[in-house]
Amino acid sequence: MANRFIATALPKQLRLATRVQYSAAPYVSMRGLASDASAASSSSAEKVHPPARPLTQKERDFLESAIRVNQAGELGANLIYAGQYAIFKNDARLRPLIRHMWDQEVHHLNTFNSLIAKHRVRPTAMRPLWNVAGYALGVGTALLGEKAAMACTEAVETEIGGHYNDQIRALLEMVREEPELLKRGELKELVDVIREFRDDELEHLDTAVEHDAKGAGGYEFIFNAIRGGCKAAIWISSKV
Amino acid sequence: MISTLRYHSYQHPSPAPPFTPTESSILSAALRHVPSHGFSTTTLSLGARDVGYLDISTNLFPRGVFDLVNYHLVTERLRLSQKVDFSKFEDGTKRLSTPAKIRVLCAERLRANSPLINRWQEALGLMSLAGNIPASVSELAKLSDEMWFLAGDDSHDMNWYTKRATLSGVYASTELFMTQDTSPDFEETWKFLDRRLDDVKSLGSSVSNISSYLDFTAHAFSNVLRSKSVPFF
Repeated sequence: MANRFIATALPKQLRLATRVQYSAAPYVSMRGLASDASAASSSSAEKVHPPARPLTQKERDFLESAIRVNQAGELGANLIYAGQYAIFKNDARLRPLIRHMWDQEVHHLNTFNSLIAKHRVRPTAMRPLWNVAGYALGVGTALLGEKAAMACTEAVETEIGGHYNDQIRALLEMVREEPELLKRGELKELVDVIREFRDDELEHLDTAVEHDAKGAGGYEFIFNAIRGGCKAAIWISSKV
Repeated sequence: MISTLRYHSYQHPSPAPPFTPTESSILSAALRHVPSHGFSTTTLSLGARDVGYLDISTNLFPRGVFDLVNYHLVTERLRLSQKVDFSKFEDGTKRLSTPAKIRVLCAERLRANSPLINRWQEALGLMSLAGNIPASVSELAKLSDEMWFLAGDDSHDMNWYTKRATLSGVYASTELFMTQDTSPDFEETWKFLDRRLDDVKSLGSSVSNISSYLDFTAHAFSNVLRSKSVPFF
C-alpha cells in the first residue's frame, strides 16, 4: 500500500513545484549563463556584488555540505508533509493546515534546488533513500493519528530549527571580521534565506504543539526516535 | 563520485590555480615537445631546459610524466569556459539547447587534444595505470561537471549523477576513437560523437517513457480504487 501512496504523491509534489516560483532578485540565471559574452560567469556576477576575499578550503567545505544537507532536509520535509497530506486530505480541518506547511516547504526546497545548481554543489546521493523514508514517515505517523503526526512534525522541526540555528551561528562566525559581507553578497543572502526558513520551521513547530503533539500515545518514543533519525539523516547528507 | 568544485562562488575569488608558476612554465614548455618525443622523461627534461632550469628540476613532479598529462587535462578543462562562445552558434532569437551546447563543449575540448593526437594513446596508457586511475577518473568527472555547468544545466537530483556519468562515458569513448581517426579535420570523430550523444538521448527518452507509463498506470489504478470507495483514495 505504501508503494501506491508514493506513486500518487510524487507527481503531485512535482506539479506543485512548478507552481511556486522561487524569486530572489540578485541571483544570476543559470540558463544561458555561458552564452553571455563568452562564458563570463564570474564577471557578470561581480557587477552585482563587490569581490571579496577568497574563501578558505574549510569554509568552502562548510558551505558545500550546508547547502547539500539543507536541500536534502527540505526534500525530506516535503515528503513527510506529502505523506501526511495523502492521509489527511479528506479531513476538512487538517487539510488546509498541512497544505499550508507543505507549500512553505516547497518554497524552501525550490530555493535550495536553485542554490545547488548555482553554487555547483553536488546533491545528496542518498536521495532515493530519503524519498522512501520521508514519505513512509509521513504516511506512518499520519496513520497513527493526528496527534502522532503532529508529534512527528514537532520532532522534525525541532531538529531542523536547531540545525539551521547552528548554520547561522557558523556563518556569522565566518564573517565576524568582515561586517561588510553581512550587508550584501552571497553569504548575506544565504544567512537571510536560512533565517527566514528557520522561522517558518519554528512556526510549524508551534502549530504542531498547539495541535496537541504532546498528547500523542507514546509521545516520548515517537519524538526521540524521529529526532534521532533526523540527526542521522543530517549527518549522512552532509557527507554523501 | 568525488565532489568537483566545493561551493562555486561568484563573489569570492576562486582558489589559486593548482600549479605553481615554475611547474606551469616547465610543463607548458614540455607539452611543445610531445609531438616529437611523446610523453616521456626526455620531453620533461627538454621542457625544463627550454625555460632555463636544470634537467634535475623534473624531480618537481613526483608522478613523473603523468604530471605532464595531468597538466594538459587540468589546464584544458579550465580553459574551456574561456574558449567556448555559444553566441557564435546562435542568431538573435534562437538559443542553443542544452544538448547542443554539450556537443559544442565536447568538440571544443576534443580539439584541444588535436596537437598531441599522435601521442595521445601514450597519455591514455599512463592514465590507465593503476596508481593514476583515481586522479584520471576524478579529472574526467570534473571535466564532465564543467561541461554540464557551462551548458547551463541546473539538475539537482539523481539526474545530476546520471548526466555526469553518461557524459563521462561519451567523452572518454570519443577521445579514444579520436586517437585512431585519420579522416581530414577529424570528421569521423564528430560523427562518432553525434552518434554517442544520440544514443544517450534515446536512453534518456526511453527512461522517461517508461516512467510516464508507470505514472499513468498508477493513476488509472487509483481511480479504479476511488470509484470503489476504498479508504484513503
